Amino acid sequence: MMWIFNSVFGKIFDFIFFLFRSMNPWIGMILISVLTALLMLFVFRFTSNQEGIKRVKNKIKAHLLELRLFKDSMSLSFKAQGNILRYNLRYISYSTKPMLVMIIPLILILIQLNFWFGYEALTPGQETILKVKLEEGHNPLDIDISLEPSSGFDIQTPPLRIEEEREINWRLQAREKGVHDLTFIVNGQKFTKKVSVAQRPLSKISPLKVKRNFINELINPGESPFPGDSPIKAIEVKYQSKDMNLFGWSIPWLFGIPPWLVVYFALSIILGFVLKGIFKVQI
Amino acid sequence: MVQAAISMRILHLGKLKPLPEKVACPLFSKSGLSLFFPFFILLLAFSLPLQAYIGPGAGFAFLSSFFILFLTFFLALFSFFSWPFRFLLRVIKGQRAYKKSSINRFIIIGLDGLEPTLVEKYMSEGKLPNFSKLKKRGTYAKLQTTIPSISPVAWSSFMTGSNPSKHNIFDFLSRDPKTYLPDLSSARIGKPKKTLSLGKYNIPLSKPEIKGLRKSIPFWKILGQKGIFSTILRVPITFPPEKFNGHLLSGMCTPDLQGSQGTFSFYTSDKERIKKREGGMNIPVTLNGDKIETYISGPENTLLHNDEEIRLPLRISIDKNKEEALLEVSGQKFKLGKHTFSEWKKLTFRPGLGIKIRAICRFYISQIQPHFEMYLTPLNLDPEKPALPISHPFIYSVYLAKLLGSFITLGEANDTWALNEGVLSEEAFLELTYSNHEEWENMLFNAMHKTKKGLITCVFETTDSIQHMFWRYLDESHPALESGQAKMSAKVIEDLYQKMDGLVGKVLGKTDEKDVVIIMSDHGFKSFRRGVNLNSWLYLNGYLSLKEGKKGSDEWFKDVDWEHTKAYALGLGGVYINQKGREAKGTIHAGEETKGLKRELIRKLDGLKDEERNSVAINKVFDRDELPSGPYLDNCPDLVVGYNEGYRISWDSVTGKVNNLVFEDNIKAWSGDHCIDPRIVPGIFFCSEKINTKNPSIMDIAPTALELFGLQVPSHMDGLALLDAQNFSLDKNRKEEKK
Repeated sequence: MMWIFNSVFGKIFDFIFFLFRSMNPWIGMILISVLTALLMLFVFRFTSNQEGIKRVKNKIKAHLLELRLFKDSMSLSFKAQGNILRYNLRYISYSTKPMLVMIIPLILILIQLNFWFGYEALTPGQETILKVKLEEGHNPLDIDISLEPSSGFDIQTPPLRIEEEREINWRLQAREKGVHDLTFIVNGQKFTKKVSVAQRPLSKISPLKVKRNFINELINPGESPFPGDSPIKAIEVKYQSKDMNLFGWSIPWLFGIPPWLVVYFALSIILGFVLKGIFKVQI
Repeated sequence: MVQAAISMRILHLGKLKPLPEKVACPLFSKSGLSLFFPFFILLLAFSLPLQAYIGPGAGFAFLSSFFILFLTFFLALFSFFSWPFRFLLRVIKGQRAYKKSSINRFIIIGLDGLEPTLVEKYMSEGKLPNFSKLKKRGTYAKLQTTIPSISPVAWSSFMTGSNPSKHNIFDFLSRDPKTYLPDLSSARIGKPKKTLSLGKYNIPLSKPEIKGLRKSIPFWKILGQKGIFSTILRVPITFPPEKFNGHLLSGMCTPDLQGSQGTFSFYTSDKERIKKREGGMNIPVTLNGDKIETYISGPENTLLHNDEEIRLPLRISIDKNKEEALLEVSGQKFKLGKHTFSEWKKLTFRPGLGIKIRAICRFYISQIQPHFEMYLTPLNLDPEKPALPISHPFIYSVYLAKLLGSFITLGEANDTWALNEGVLSEEAFLELTYSNHEEWENMLFNAMHKTKKGLITCVFETTDSIQHMFWRYLDESHPALESGQAKMSAKVIEDLYQKMDGLVGKVLGKTDEKDVVIIMSDHGFKSFRRGVNLNSWLYLNGYLSLKEGKKGSDEWFKDVDWEHTKAYALGLGGVYINQKGREAKGTIHAGEETKGLKRELIRKLDGLKDEERNSVAINKVFDRDELPSGPYLDNCPDLVVGYNEGYRISWDSVTGKVNNLVFEDNIKAWSGDHCIDPRIVPGIFFCSEKINTKNPSIMDIAPTALELFGLQVPSHMDGLALLDAQNFSLDKNRKEEKK
């Protein structure tokens, strides 16, 4: 069920970005930021107390002006600050409903965007680590697992089995461009995982494939899940994070948040504020 | 330990190179535990890894909020740490405010036009308990007003403590001697001096000239120079606002967006109701089914070479069954029922080049069937984004609007002309007027709440407007009772006085023993039954000539033959000699000839009798040369006419019309007035303390304020302090009161 939903939702994003795949990722980012801003404005417009927000914002501005107008009176300044905080709390309370309404769609949007903007596809010759995480009750030292050779990559090391982590790792080297299937044989059962090598500037990359489970599938909808009785919990391919380059300046990670998310946060919020006047939305 | 072991074993994979540090991790790894903006702190309080995903949503909702929090925090810090420096600066500047002050607050409430005889009557009937309380506790007296007894003159004398000859305001109107046309006496708003012509546009390169014409210094400016803080609300002749140490919201004479003193719009589908209107304009409308496509008439577009009116489309959809209409204007849609005033609505006019001019207005549908009729208030300057400065500092009006909501900014706030012209009913006029009053009360109490020391002054014109429009109910012989709207009773005036008594009670309730309160009016009120057309009298007596073949003149002396005219009347009380060298087509020499003519006119006009009513129409004509002198006395009309009770200059004479009729009944709703002999319309004066005279003058208030705050009264002030600060002891007065 979840997978159907993920497929449909994923297709929507495939459709949105279809024309922009060969273009600079910034164009796709701006597009999705505009759409997000519009969505957020729409939600705000119809779920929040617009009159209340307007009223409370006016009060906040009035008390901010009060700080300037009564700057020589310490007591009035402090009272004004108290009032600002009081009305700010009311403002937050007015914002809570639309925020709660927005959380679910935004979670889904961000999950999808992570596939498009979170990772850089491997380039031919680039090495990466492939991790297979086993379910509880399966010992990596005992399990019969093999990774089948492929024309898309070289398997550079034999499997490294880490008993404490129930993990088996390989080192791979990408060879040919394209989306390749990694095929594992585990206790005679076949499992696959996609690996992307040198895609278009904007391409969908799924680093993790998980076992069927609501939360797992929700967060990692890039590939169809493993069956529920699978001994494999997850298979992960390590990709480098995508670089968001603005006129030669590579946007850095900010307090652990990846560049694309920083840009998306900033753009969608800024665009929301820019567009609010046009759509007459109080935020 | 386990992590370290795993790392070691991965490295044991031999040739495997460590991946770059910023390898992207699946989303549920570390980014969710990070800090981006402070608002994430709240989100991070939750343990779900999904929190990373709600960033933009939360940001959208909370960014403003956290921005405000941080701004408040930094402003608090700044305020706290800079306060000692600001205090030191004030000490260095010698602003040892309140050091010599006898009081904490001086609160002056101006109730424009409150009439002493009515106050006394209602007090004696026990209807004004708070006024009575104030009288018992302190002082009640009649307050001498100015010559002439007109609000802009009187309030200018109030604020400057001086005679009109020192502050240059002698009437609402002054005249341009070159054209004989009227000008607003208090302010001049001109076009920008420098402009750039670009295609059809005339782009201003400098600010438009906005010049106040009132001279001398308001006493709050003197207080401010010594560091004493003032809040001045709606005092007449404070537009344009002047810089001083305090807050000021301009009052009477602040224009509307069209530059007038208030132009309403009257929308009607009834052709018979289309007629010339004094205080507004007609906008005929046609119903197309239940729809009306019309417009709001805005200001002239001065950006264009050929000034043209900017219009905003207005669409009205009428629901006859519900007796309401849906109005669509300036991007807004709202329903409005019959006989209901809308809230203040914001309008944006776009003259071009991306410029926006903002206004606020209120709508009122007076009739849906058989004809649609709607009243639109004059377009007020939006206090949040005023096109002209209406407050000091500029942000003060913004602050008031944000805190208390939009409010009327027009100087002549109450639309007396709309009632006069039958566009508003009496009930609607009262509703609108009291609604304006409520806005001013809120401003006053906000100022009182925020001012612990200093001056607070607020003038309410509610009293003036309602008395002008409803006085006829106190005068059974008033001609206006037999014509036009006359459905109400003298109770309207009584209610007004009782409401003002309530206001006084609220003010007193918010004061303590270190405050001094004055409740005052600038003049009183009397009935206005008969109008005197002075220009007609001058014509009929050979002082004013008409062009050949004319038996009368249209507005603004259109058909006057200036080359044979000796004198003319303009404004509410002035007569001017057509003097050579001063007027463009003067005929009378300055000096003896002028003096002789003035003597002649005074002799004839003093005691002028209305034969029809067998009553004296003019008590006294004041010669300018006998009025207190000052640097601007030359701008005073040569003669100031003091009418008797029941008379006033006629409506036609004010606007320069000439005919064969000197006396005529006043049948307008505007049935009370004060532009008469100042000696018979003193104002009221209540003070919470005993004063040192029985005959206070409006010019005494300014020196009293200075005295109470321990400042020297400047020699140019004509008034005298009513309370002697050296002998003044609030405690002493209180003890006497208790005894």
